[in-house]
Amino acid sequence: MNDLSDAAQRPGAEAFSHLGRSLEEIRSELGVDPVSVQSIRDPAVYELEREKIFKRTWLKVATDQELPEKGDYKVKELPVADASVLIVRGKDGKVRAFHNVCTHRGNKVVPTSGFETFGKSRANVLACRFHGWVFSTDGPLRSVPMESGFGKLDKACLGLREIACDSWEGFVFINFADPPEQSLAEYLGDFGKLFSGYPYNEATTAFRYSTVLECNWKVALYAFSEGYHVPTIHAGSLPGFRGIEHSDFKLIGPHASSTIYGLGMESAESTGQFAGVLHANPDQGPRPDLLPPGINPKRRPEFQFELPNIFPNFLIHLAAGCGYPGIAFFTHQFWPLDHGRTLWEGINYFRPARNAAERVAQFHINALHRNAWLEDTGTMEDTFTGIRSGAIDNMLLMDQEFMIRHADRSQHAYLAR
Amino acid sequence: MTDTMQMPRGFEDLAGLAAEWAGPSENARSEVRWNASAADFKAFYDAMMPRLPDVLAELGRTTLEEMDIARTNLFSLAAAFAEAAPHHELYGGSSEVPFSFSARRFVPGHGDACSWATDFR
Ligand code: FES
Ligand SMILES: [Fe+2]
Repeated sequence: MNDLSDAAQRPGAEAFSHLGRSLEEIRSELGVDPVSVQSIRDPAVYELEREKIFKRTWLKVATDQELPEKGDYKVKELPVADASVLIVRGKDGKVRAFHNVCTHRGNKVVPTSGFETFGKSRANVLACRFHGWVFSTDGPLRSVPMESGFGKLDKACLGLREIACDSWEGFVFINFADPPEQSLAEYLGDFGKLFSGYPYNEATTAFRYSTVLECNWKVALYAFSEGYHVPTIHAGSLPGFRGIEHSDFKLIGPHASSTIYGLGMESAESTGQFAGVLHANPDQGPRPDLLPPGINPKRRPEFQFELPNIFPNFLIHLAAGCGYPGIAFFTHQFWPLDHGRTLWEGINYFRPARNAAERVAQFHINALHRNAWLEDTGTMEDTFTGIRSGAIDNMLLMDQEFMIRHADRSQHAYLAR
Repeated sequence: MTDTMQMPRGFEDLAGLAAEWAGPSENARSEVRWNASAADFKAFYDAMMPRLPDVLAELGRTTLEEMDIARTNLFSLAAAFAEAAPHHELYGGSSEVPFSFSARRFVPGHGDACSWATDFR
């Protein structure tokens, strides 16, 4: 099952065979012992995670397609780093990240509402509303009202405070460390190679959901990191989903990945019709040929999606329309707001509808998937309450929960640095 | 919503259903769905399912940009059905997904956007 070093592989897959792990290898590398829930329960661990993980690793904060034109910006509130982050495409077309903090006295340059704020700067400048300092979208301070009243002001040193920012396959990442210990490419390492080459930027129809969960961020992350729960928690929304197999385990530095195989996604009669609409379009339909070569290397027809865990808080489920009809990929992200509160973001990405029927079909598939997410999120607050009660000290993890075991290890490695 | 809605030729019989279910955005349709009973879902399903192939064929002949008012109404009805059908087929007529998180706590980023907008996200 987990053997990626076989002769019948797609060309190019051999470059990734060193990432694959058999069940025996997973067990011997990661162990089979129970894993302590202390790091979920203990607020002091959360304070360490903020400093040693979230302020030192590369964090996905935007996508290229959210900022298609010069002057487009997004502000992301990141309480985990006590930061409001402005991500903006400058006049030169480059995406940069800055603290959304006016260098005059600290007001937000872009006022925000909610966790994400989108906007456009038409003249490629952003003005602070407090006293009117004006910054260009690539950072420098442009103008200061009544500048002579300051006596002395070195405008050259008063640009927006930049945060390290880089992108990979259209996903924009930041790193609060100054400077980061590794480049984004080094940090993603073989994960970046394994997942590269898919036309992510063509899937521009995004259905985005978010909610605030009263649980530690790792409880939410872990619930989306394994396939063990699928036949039970999703019995309501995926009754025909059968032959579920979670395999092709891969360990990739602090990251990991695996594959969900299965059948029967289209069991309901209406779903069959909506899926038919999407599958009639070769762009929406299953496109296993677009999968990077290391993913589903044996071209198994039951491939549903690749299920990775990108340290510390990001998942890209790459499906290429093979699982939920029409879904190119979907992402999850888990942002701590506090030790016991988490902002979850789930986004379904489709290629644009050619006609109105395809858009309707996308709404159906999106609703099915959203409803499965409602089943997933339904466990999280109860799990956290249970862990906080002190009734259990350990999690017992089976093979399909290996990414939880691995994430716990990666976290400990970062906390120990 | 008015109690009759203009529909494309050949789909006039769906005007009453559209008045009941169609909404321009996901949030508008969710509000209707959350207040529906098992009998409402069944009636919608029984009336709409036999027409679905024709509805999808009609909508397949128009792009999102070129829909007139009648087709936009048909689109909104079809979107409502796309979202409501699982409640009849899979959730036993419940307006909630059984054993799940409260749907009202999920915030769709595109919730108030017109569902036919081409720059939809
Ligand atoms: S704080 Fe921004 S101009 Fe004064
Ligand atoms: Fe799930």
